[in-house]
Amino acid sequence: MSKSPTDLPLGTTAPYARLHKWLQRGLLVCLSALVIEGTFTVPFLLVWYGWPSLTIVEVCSELQKVRFSDDTRECIFPYPLFAPSEGAGQKMAQDVWGVQPTPKYKRIGFRDLVKIRDERRARQAAQKHPEGPLATANFTD
Amino acid sequence: MQLAANGPNLSNYDDHQERSRLAQRHADRWLIAGTIVMGTAVLGFIGFPLFIYGLVLLRRAQKSGLSVRPLICTLLGYLVIIDSALNSMGWAMDLMAHHTLMNRVITTAWGNLVDGGYFWHYNELWIGGTGAPGEKAWQIALIPIVFCMRLAAAIGFLQMKRWGQQWLVVTCWFGVIVWVGYNTNMTIFADIRYANTVFPVIGWWAYDIFYITPFLSIPYLHTVNREIFTD
Repeated sequence: MSKSPTDLPLGTTAPYARLHKWLQRGLLVCLSALVIEGTFTVPFLLVWYGWPSLTIVEVCSELQKVRFSDDTRECIFPYPLFAPSEGAGQKMAQDVWGVQPTPKYKRIGFRDLVKIRDERRARQAAQKHPEGPLATANFTD
Repeated sequence: MQLAANGPNLSNYDDHQERSRLAQRHADRWLIAGTIVMGTAVLGFIGFPLFIYGLVLLRRAQKSGLSVRPLICTLLGYLVIIDSALNSMGWAMDLMAHHTLMNRVITTAWGNLVDGGYFWHYNELWIGGTGAPGEKAWQIALIPIVFCMRLAAAIGFLQMKRWGQQWLVVTCWFGVIVWVGYNTNMTIFADIRYANTVFPVIGWWAYDIFYITPFLSIPYLHTVNREIFTD
């Protein structure tokens, strides 16, 4: 049974009653979804990209290393106020250049940055101490 | 009926108006507090109950026969504010605070997750922030112009002013332009935006679809009885 005009909300006329009802539901869904997204985005990002195994500055540095394909990059914090952009003039980033540039960096899976950091550290340690246990094991094999 | 039997009773009318105004004001305090907190994104879970309590107060006032703003107008006006606040915050950080630690972690991580435009060659342009083609132009056009205008329009709309309703129509149509232009830009430069991101196209849509406020506002704004808005 349709509502009488006096039952309708102020501003809603009978021909648009159903439209307004569905719009109101849509508005409530969007509002709730934006709140949920807003609340959980930052914690989700931090956990996905390796916090708390990585500090916030380390997450920043690891993202930069991936972005510019350069293991030597570090996140400078605090960044000097009037300094040029941190990536200005960099030459290491890998792309397929053309009218539609395509980045070559790899997809970062769940907590991959922790793995990438640990592997790099292991590589650097092996380079610093070639006579270490790993190198010895290789020779004896 | 009682009014008709007793004839016009101005003191009853004034009393009703005053009680309606107070009830609206009381509810709006909670709604505004909730919206400000929800607009920060991270603290949204604190703002939401405040906002819902404001809605409950408004509904109670409506049921008790007071003349308060219709529920749909309240939802629409405040959602426009939250949508504008969330959009402006992310983009303003990218535009003006691109070298802060918070921005370099949150924005580039988010970019790597769903929109490569906020990861690819990030902080390499002289102006800093995103390096995606066209993105900076969108930010400069949208933050100080579209979103500020929409915020002002939404405030006028919530005050049930006619100019608020009219300007919300204008700025929500801006919103349609934003959606069409922005998505076309992303589609044309899809390799930059989606290549090797964690959750490409579907992820972006799943995240951003809830910003479709203009598409929900426009049908209402064009079909509402405009007599409820005052000059």
